[in-house]
Amino acid sequence: MNDSVLTPPVKEYLLAFADDEHLMGQQHTEWIGVAPFLEEDMAFASIGQDELGHALMLYTLILECPSGIDTYVFNRKSEEWRSCQLVESTHRRWEEALIRHWCYDMAEDLRWELFSDSSLPELISISERALKEETYHRRHAEALVENLLMVPDSKLRLMNALEVVVPQVLGLFSPIPGEEEAISCGVVSGKYSDLLPIWRTRLEERFGVLDSGLFIQADNENRTQRHSDFDYLFGRIREVFLLDPKAVW
Amino acid sequence: MNRSWDSLETFENFLDSGGIVEPVDEMPTEYRQAVFDFIEMHANSELMGGLTERDWIPRAPGLRHKMSVIAKTQDEIGHAHLLYMVAADLQIKTRQEMMRDLFAGKSKFHNVFHYRAKTWGDQVAIAFLVDAAALVSQQAVFKNCSYGPYKRILKRIIAEEGFHLRFGEESVLRIAEGTQIQRSMFQSSINDWWWPALQLFGPDSKPNDLLLRWHIKSERNEVLRDRWIQKFVPLLQGYGFTIPDPDLRWNKEENRWEIGPIDWEPLKRTLAMGGPDSARRISEASESWEKSSWVREALEKVAT
Repeated sequence: MNDSVLTPPVKEYLLAFADDEHLMGQQHTEWIGVAPFLEEDMAFASIGQDELGHALMLYTLILECPSGIDTYVFNRKSEEWRSCQLVESTHRRWEEALIRHWCYDMAEDLRWELFSDSSLPELISISERALKEETYHRRHAEALVENLLMVPDSKLRLMNALEVVVPQVLGLFSPIPGEEEAISCGVVSGKYSDLLPIWRTRLEERFGVLDSGLFIQADNENRTQRHSDFDYLFGRIREVFLLDPKAVW
Repeated sequence: MNRSWDSLETFENFLDSGGIVEPVDEMPTEYRQAVFDFIEMHANSELMGGLTERDWIPRAPGLRHKMSVIAKTQDEIGHAHLLYMVAADLQIKTRQEMMRDLFAGKSKFHNVFHYRAKTWGDQVAIAFLVDAAALVSQQAVFKNCSYGPYKRILKRIIAEEGFHLRFGEESVLRIAEGTQIQRSMFQSSINDWWWPALQLFGPDSKPNDLLLRWHIKSERNEVLRDRWIQKFVPLLQGYGFTIPDPDLRWNKEENRWEIGPIDWEPLKRTLAMGGPDSARRISEASESWEKSSWVREALEKVAT
């Protein structure tokens, strides 16, 4: 049954989600050990691990060859990635990492819920597991943001970070290649972009009404164009692999 | 409970009979200070170990490896977190003061974390050689530790360190059976990490070592060091790697490996914050701590 549903366009559609989860997890790993206190080091470690775990489950479903996932990931050309620019960009301030974590996780549960009645049973169970973990991710981001918004100096930092991050989030919701096919065969129940208003309501309920200029979407041609930071990120991901592509680590 | 002892002698008798001290007890000042110093250094070392390894998390060669090294670093930082709380309960320094002293280069951490993990091979060598050395020491402390909270925390730490060791062992096995590039990378990691890992145990224990007398440690440094040597020499040689010790020899009569003389100068330099990577390690940790001070300050304001 999976073969009939997992057509190349559907795989490409799911690949976008897997790539987003992978690179979001990758970005979180950069913040382990440099957080404001030890509990935050551990939180970013735990959340990063969860996101990488989600990516692994999705890649496994798409590729149907778990042992080949790393080879597939390492050998892909940059134009073959389907990640969004939000997860590709390097943030140099902790407040930007926190705001990205808040924004991404406030959008992630909406995305997983689209698979609750999927025609692919594996996706139903992956989404159930992911949704449980996402509850904690949102709780973590919310608790920190809520407290930091109460103090003028830290509020200003978070609001400045929003100006960097929010325009990138729109790319997360942009049309995903293969989406129409995935909807028509029941893999997913609807368009992710239709959920952008729910996310924006969550955002403005937490941070207040934001400048509408932040919501003008840049065109990344349906996730086929990489952010200028992608090469650096991909370079780190496959640094050890490139030393000896034949090696098994 | 709030037990007290009328003299150091009665306190030592209590310890010798297997007594366990709890934070509420009125323990002798010297004992309190010795336990605190030992736990503070352990906490600092767990944290600095996590920072040494963090550099390679984003570059781990594969998704599963990445998840394993994240979990490992999360454990190390988690151990530091627990140990700082146990140390703070001794009411000599607060957790904040301990972190401040660490980032100011005023308090100690293990020699091995004054070195930089330069390659993925080094990351594996740390999990294989250094974690094993730390585990040998921790098991010995756990066996007969007289300070209750530390003994209880060590139980969990030892269980988790066991997983780290397995990660190291599995990685070494794959490298040993791997390509020439992998093997030569790991050989150079052994060359760099063998002596620092061995020096982690410290020089031979002095006859009047207070940590032994007060049952904070249960075995002498040289005994622990030798246990580690007897395990790792045959293991590494079995995988076809060379030990960087020209005087290493097999003593047929005693059926044991004997190593050449240990140069303690590198260890002394790390104690004086003059190790190969001490300055960078401390200044980077201190810089990120400073940079994020606004978060701590804001949350403190909210709490009050």
